[in-house]
Amino acid sequence: MAAQKEQKQGYRPVVVLSLLSLLICGFLFPFVVTGISQVALPSQANGSLAQLAGRNVGSYYIDNGFTLPVFFHARNESNPLVASASGVDPDITLQDALSQVIGIHNATGIPTSDLIVMVKSHQQETLWVLGDPYVNVLVLNLALINSYPSVYSSYR
Amino acid sequence: MIDATQTFSIIVILGAALVSGSLLAPYIVRVFNGGPSRFDRILDPIERRLYRLMGAKPEATMGWKEYFLAALLLNVGQMVLAFIILVYQNVLPLNPQGFPGLSLDLAFNTVVSFATNTNLQHYNGEATLSYFSQLGAIQFLQFTSAATGICCMVALVRGFRAGSANLGNFYVDFIRSLTRILLPLCLMAALVFVALGVPQSLGGYVPVKTVEGSTQTILVGPVASLVSIMQLGTNGGGYYGANSAYPFQNPNPATDVLEIYLMLLLPTALVFVFGELLGKKRETRPILIGTYGLFALDLAIAFIPPLPIVGPGLETRFGGFFSTFWTVVTTAVTTGSVNSSLSGIHPLAILSAFMGMLIQATPGGKGVGVMYMVMYIVITVFVVGLMTGRTPEYLGMKITARDVKLVMVAFLIHPLVILVPTVLAYATHAVDAIPGLTSLPTSVGFTQVLYEFTSAAANNGSDFLGASANTPFFNLATAIVILVGRYGPIAVLLALAGSMVGRKRSSEHSLKTDSNTFSLVLIGSILLLVVLTFLPFLILGPVLAYFQGMVNFFG
Repeated sequence: MAAQKEQKQGYRPVVVLSLLSLLICGFLFPFVVTGISQVALPSQANGSLAQLAGRNVGSYYIDNGFTLPVFFHARNESNPLVASASGVDPDITLQDALSQVIGIHNATGIPTSDLIVMVKSHQQETLWVLGDPYVNVLVLNLALINSYPSVYSSYR
Repeated sequence: MIDATQTFSIIVILGAALVSGSLLAPYIVRVFNGGPSRFDRILDPIERRLYRLMGAKPEATMGWKEYFLAALLLNVGQMVLAFIILVYQNVLPLNPQGFPGLSLDLAFNTVVSFATNTNLQHYNGEATLSYFSQLGAIQFLQFTSAATGICCMVALVRGFRAGSANLGNFYVDFIRSLTRILLPLCLMAALVFVALGVPQSLGGYVPVKTVEGSTQTILVGPVASLVSIMQLGTNGGGYYGANSAYPFQNPNPATDVLEIYLMLLLPTALVFVFGELLGKKRETRPILIGTYGLFALDLAIAFIPPLPIVGPGLETRFGGFFSTFWTVVTTAVTTGSVNSSLSGIHPLAILSAFMGMLIQATPGGKGVGVMYMVMYIVITVFVVGLMTGRTPEYLGMKITARDVKLVMVAFLIHPLVILVPTVLAYATHAVDAIPGLTSLPTSVGFTQVLYEFTSAAANNGSDFLGASANTPFFNLATAIVILVGRYGPIAVLLALAGSMVGRKRSSEHSLKTDSNTFSLVLIGSILLLVVLTFLPFLILGPVLAYFQGMVNFFG
């Protein structure tokens, strides 16, 4: 009887602390973070959605899956040998973007010099000074659509 | 090879971790010594209420067996809760995608993996787990396993501290490490991650029509809160299958640098905590020089070959340098998160990753890294004692035959649970069940299987195989390896600490363990031990792949 009582006391902290830690770490903490984020940073908290003509067309951080010749393309559709780790890499290297300029010129008639300026004005650096510059494909294509409304009228 | 700006960025990130780690250390020491803090007014009443609910006496003290058993039983209790949540997620709330419950072997592997700070994942989170599971199983265990690791190290140091009579109270250490270290740090980190673009929502995946008009699903969820603890707690298990290569988990170079920094922060701080908690600050020196010296060696090996160009397995926004640097850091602190596909990494960088996971103390996972370093110190003290013909001593205490046996057992567990299962996986043809593995070149396939068990044993969690290792053999085998690799050395090293309590100390030190000379001998003996133990297997894997002229592991 005495031994039983002792054992009961022995397991109580373990059982109670397991449940308490689940509530605090598993639910209370993420709910607090979600609450603050949804109020203070709603755009980022909900996936940094990109809008075109008033509707959500995707996220700036996720490859939008461009396939048509009038747009710049990400790496993920073309060829598994160059595919990214995530499969949804939204960026391409500056070099890659520039190599696609001639194709877009052929499909749209936009002067290549304008396209090159467009690409270069949207380049991002890997951490300010380091690494090779890259371009976000969705940002670039949305800029194209907004800069050349007559060419891209069917997408607006 | 890396250029000047890349070298500079490594120095800045490591420097930031070292400086902030050393500044955080005195606070951490006060948390575990029960010293006053400005948070007491808020936290003391909360903690007292928790102790009352648990029926635990915070002033009670524990010997090593009690301390270890409390930690083990609590971890088991937490595993049971998480297991139930994973298996029954289909009938639990917060499952907007309607995912079915997990199979028993996958759920077992997952809770074992997360409760032990391993975070090996045989599933793709975004296509398998409900929000409820991501919170109540994954994030939950990431906090508790991190806290458990810190507690065990603190208990170990208490055993070695002069004049200590016990190892402390596990429940008090566990609760205080959550309320005063992990939760506040993670809250700050999570909000910064959201500001930088990491989602934090419970509203369900968002269907959209893309610019070209096809349908796409945006996989948002409570990601930022998970990323904060997965990196700070050196857990490594991601919200998504692609881990921190997936843009929502790591959207830009700024988050990438922050995640690397967070991985390094606590393991580095705990190196300083060691000396301070011990009451002998100078004894931090061999651990600091040892961990960071070996880490520098890891980096040097990884950066010998030319950096991979943005190509297969790499994300454009990180490029070759940040992908390789991340791979070295994540294995050096046994976090196991990835920001690239390991298949896209050069064989020599993979060799460096192996070194991190085989040594487990460069600086290793938070808490346990320091514990392994103490193990190496005792081994080195013994070897040096043999060479100079003196009785081995550490901190003025004689190292007995039993101590040496204990540390040798702790050391030998690691090769045992890596090499035996690797051989078994081939001998039983269990590897044939992994899709595509046998069609790869032998050195590549072998590297991937060896990496799987090394990562499991080191409680790291990075892997080549991922969801393709979701077979009954690999789920059960890695779970067993993880359990033995985690609790075996912790139990043995706490036993060692327990036997140090109250041991006679001489004030004359025959061997100065806080000297630079000893630190270098320590590095040498760690390299000798680890290289001699694992060399044949490394030669058949990454070294062979390197000499076959491979630039990555795509076969």
